Amino acid sequence: MSGKKIPTVGETANIGAHVSQPSKLERFGDHMRREWQLYVMLLPLVIWLFVFLYKPMYGLQIAFKDYSIFRGVAGSPWVGFEHFERLFSNEQFLRALKNTVVISFYSLLFGFPMPIILALMFNEILNKTFKKTSQTLVYLPHFISSVIIAGIVITAFSPSAGIVNTVMGWFGLEPIYFLTKPEWFRPIFIGTGIWQESGFQSIVYLAAIAGVSPTLYESAVVDGASRWQMMWKITIPSILPTIIIMLIIRIGNILEVSFEMVILLYQPATYETADVVNSYIFRQGIQAGQYDFAAAAGLFNAVIAFALVMTANTISKRYSRTSLW
Amino acid sequence: MSGVSLEGIVKAYGAVQVVHGVDLEVQEKEFVVLVGPSGCGKSTTLRMIAGLEEISGGDLTIDGRVMNRVAPKDRDVAMVFQNYALYPHLNVAENIAFGLRIRKTPKDQIDSQVKEVAGILGLTDYLERRPADLSGGQRQRVAMGRAIVRNPKVFLFDEPLSNLDAKLRTQMRAEIKRLHKRLGVTSIYVTHDQVEAMTLADRIVVMNDGRIEQIGTPMDLFLNPANTFVAAFLGAPPMNLVNATMIGDNLAEFNGQTIELPDLADLKGSVGRAVTLGIRPEFVEVADASVANQVKIDVDLIETLGSEALVHASLSDKPFVIRTETLGKLDLLDNVTGFTINPKLIRVFDAETGVALPGQVHEQ
Repeated sequence: MSGKKIPTVGETANIGAHVSQPSKLERFGDHMRREWQLYVMLLPLVIWLFVFLYKPMYGLQIAFKDYSIFRGVAGSPWVGFEHFERLFSNEQFLRALKNTVVISFYSLLFGFPMPIILALMFNEILNKTFKKTSQTLVYLPHFISSVIIAGIVITAFSPSAGIVNTVMGWFGLEPIYFLTKPEWFRPIFIGTGIWQESGFQSIVYLAAIAGVSPTLYESAVVDGASRWQMMWKITIPSILPTIIIMLIIRIGNILEVSFEMVILLYQPATYETADVVNSYIFRQGIQAGQYDFAAAAGLFNAVIAFALVMTANTISKRYSRTSLW
Repeated sequence: MSGVSLEGIVKAYGAVQVVHGVDLEVQEKEFVVLVGPSGCGKSTTLRMIAGLEEISGGDLTIDGRVMNRVAPKDRDVAMVFQNYALYPHLNVAENIAFGLRIRKTPKDQIDSQVKEVAGILGLTDYLERRPADLSGGQRQRVAMGRAIVRNPKVFLFDEPLSNLDAKLRTQMRAEIKRLHKRLGVTSIYVTHDQVEAMTLADRIVVMNDGRIEQIGTPMDLFLNPANTFVAAFLGAPPMNLVNATMIGDNLAEFNGQTIELPDLADLKGSVGRAVTLGIRPEFVEVADASVANQVKIDVDLIETLGSEALVHASLSDKPFVIRTETLGKLDLLDNVTGFTINPKLIRVFDAETGVALPGQVHEQ
């Protein structure tokens, strides 16, 4: 016998008090010894985040400074909100902001449902060969570089040899130089984006659909549901959490209009509807060398995006029980 | 008559046939359990009745109407699935009402039917909850509610209790039995659990390898298994099977021991014939060294379960289990050397085919 007192029935409630609890540090040590492999796997991403996303944030302060590349970030004098005041009194920036919001809104309106519709349609295709072929065809544009896509668009809408004007010619319509007309920029730009990305984005929804238990459909079949009813009453509600997560991410990127595609497709004649915040920043920052002013525009963009993500997440959490965090 | 009739039902996937001509008549209001090991074709047969699998051959009749090519919704059957198949985004009331909504039943009728079913199943307090907020037993009740509310001609159950823990399973088993008594709807129930089959069924259908091995009442199958497969499948623990050779008209020998068998016409003059003896663990009397004419066994282990005990032994190098009462026998259990059995309780099978010899019927 060790001589330790065995607790009686009445004393067992207190038994926890006699057991020594490991300290937080000891528990952390145990945890690290047990799980260190996971942290090693995490390390490259943490380094990447730090180098490419956190370290550059140091440079954000130039948005509040009269930055000179000779004096450096630390040596440049503070100017407070001067660049922001200039930004909001600048008509070109306000026009770019408006264009960004309009293009983003229409991209979201027409582009967001497209991959969901595609995924639902793929899900209904029974012929495997047809399904695989059509999936490959709609995924393909995603893998083509933006420069090539822009080249295809410019060629397709060319007034002399473009397929669009050729077809219009068959119906006796006058050719239109689409890419020089401000009113045509947005439909062409948004349409191109949908064509390029919808297929690839549908993969996420197809994966979500694959996760729906087949017995839900079988049960619905026995209950008498048609395929249409099953899509509305089972598939869509089942993938709704995925849809909401994707929507929150999309809203966070709402001001991130595909900048390289804008640069490739716009021209001074269409700035009126085509110039977006990012292309404006590019022109002011890189081409005109106003780094501090461009940084202010970029920071504004980021703050708005952050606020939008927070709002979308909060609304989603409250009303659908689904949220990113 | 809302009975179900299967005539030569075949299921084949390409060249592979998995159900080989099943014949079964389920009477109106009858509770029939299809039981068998995994992969025996019982679930496939049930799914063919539901219309979830195409029938490759034979005729399926429900309520006198051939249903082979009739859509599941028009067969007037309701099915309860193993994993409940509840819609996670709908609450209990909406889940129960799903089938009625699909069929465009008027709203006030849906409400009253849902309330009635919830009352029967004890779900009234949970109608607003979602499946994620329910326990396994409650979810299973919702799944049954969804089937009941449609008031179908036939209930189909596909291993509905497999996902529940042992205690809940026993409880839900009794509830299903009670529900069947109350509603009186023809039911076909699939399970691999022979205890469920024995307790629930009016008649049991034992399946193996896509074929029906035997159909009968639970006690009939327990007492009179048609072959060694059924003998070894039903009963807990299952029937002991001992290989022996006939040395007289009703005397067999195995491993240097002799045992008396029932008088069977088929065994007359069959000295040298190989037979398999089926001995139910419950039908033997344990014996100590003082008992004469005992069959000797080597006891490995005794599991005491309270009022009864399981004696794990070996006979002819094969496991042999005895189920016996413990009360008043504890001293005897410490000194078990063998067993005695009334020859009439031994079931004799042909060693080659595994089929029970004719003329053996134990009255229930």
